[in-house]
Amino acid sequence: MEYSNPKIPEGINASTQHPLKEFFLLTGGVLGGVLIVVVVLTLLADRLAVYIPFESEMQLVTRVTDGIPAEGAEPLPIESYLNGLADQIAAEEGLPPEMQLTVHYVDDDLVNAFATLGGHIFMFRGLLEKLPNENAVAMVLAHEIAHIKYRHPIRSMGRGIIFGLAITMVSSTLGNAMTDQVLANTGGVTVLKFSRDQEREADQTALNALYRRYGHVDGADLLFKVLQQQEREGEALQMPEFFSTHPLSEHRIDDIHTFQAEHATATDVATVPLPDQFVAWLIPAETEKTD
Amino acid sequence: MADLTIFMVLLALGYGFGRYAELKHYKSIIRREKEFRDIPAVTTKFPPLSKAVDAELVSGSVVISVDYFKRFIAGLRNLIGGRVTAYELLLDRARREAILRMKEEARAFDGHIIFNVKLETSSIHKGRKNGVGAVEVMAYGTVLIKQ
Repeated sequence: MEYSNPKIPEGINASTQHPLKEFFLLTGGVLGGVLIVVVVLTLLADRLAVYIPFESEMQLVTRVTDGIPAEGAEPLPIESYLNGLADQIAAEEGLPPEMQLTVHYVDDDLVNAFATLGGHIFMFRGLLEKLPNENAVAMVLAHEIAHIKYRHPIRSMGRGIIFGLAITMVSSTLGNAMTDQVLANTGGVTVLKFSRDQEREADQTALNALYRRYGHVDGADLLFKVLQQQEREGEALQMPEFFSTHPLSEHRIDDIHTFQAEHATATDVATVPLPDQFVAWLIPAETEKTD
Repeated sequence: MADLTIFMVLLALGYGFGRYAELKHYKSIIRREKEFRDIPAVTTKFPPLSKAVDAELVSGSVVISVDYFKRFIAGLRNLIGGRVTAYELLLDRARREAILRMKEEARAFDGHIIFNVKLETSSIHKGRKNGVGAVEVMAYGTVLIKQ
């Protein structure tokens, strides 16, 4: 009997297809699929989160924060002023009565303000110091109140939970840490788009409220000019809009100017000055005591 | 963004080096298969018995690592199923290389044919989260040596 090992024909046990072809088909297909699933799921979460009663949202916050900031603590003068202003703006925006607002003052250099679950709004000293009149402060408050009116905080949370869950379930089947990272980034960029839409919605509602209250929207763009200044000075990192949670400040200023052009004001416009003690209120309570 | 950049670089490095090594390896495999064609390796268990031969155990083993690019593709394959061609190529290389090394050993014995060839495959290193790190293929058989 004759034994031999002839030449092995190639391409039977191993594919001769170019590996990059498979790479592009796979990444395109899988990342595209993840994108669709995340968009559908987060849209659902976004729509359904609105049906969570505001009361439950407030209870949730109390449970998580465990009474921080302390209940019954005497509000600072600046907080009383901001809360008063917030209530007037809330009336202009038609905030349902069950949505209680609580404005907190944060003694920090951060140029920021945010609204979160349970109708809590946080205003930072860094931002308030840079706002020259009531209209500008009102714009910030109106923007944050609009977030609460549209239930943006709880909708964001709902989306975040669903998104996290989806990514965890997908990545548990993969077994590659870096693949997880790519999937999470893909989904994350999608979530940011929702976030930017919410910011635009809040800006528009805030402008309408300001227009009803003051008869004009002068001073509304000051907030974004402050933010723009921050970005130019390099204190805030400016990212391309696609990778950002907020629309670019220049786009937001443009939107305000469009609004101004559409809502012509007949009378001579004047901005409302801030209360005389406003600057003194911004000084932290501790230093006041030691003086 | 930074981690995405690092990831893309790792992927490109994995592809570049992995592909280069693969093509080079295949060239070498095909050349050496021709060179060792005079020592057939067959799976028949029972060689024609003759007192005029000696028999020796010969083996060849190889360990090949998975590159970053292959691991990434295989990870995505896990989601949707199908032929993991990236790993197929890897194992094909490993099997053929193992047989070649076995034949090399046989040649050192002045053997003329290897009977009862068997192949063993194992993943010798489980990467993070049980990902495949490297594969080992071992080929062994009985070489007949004319006295």
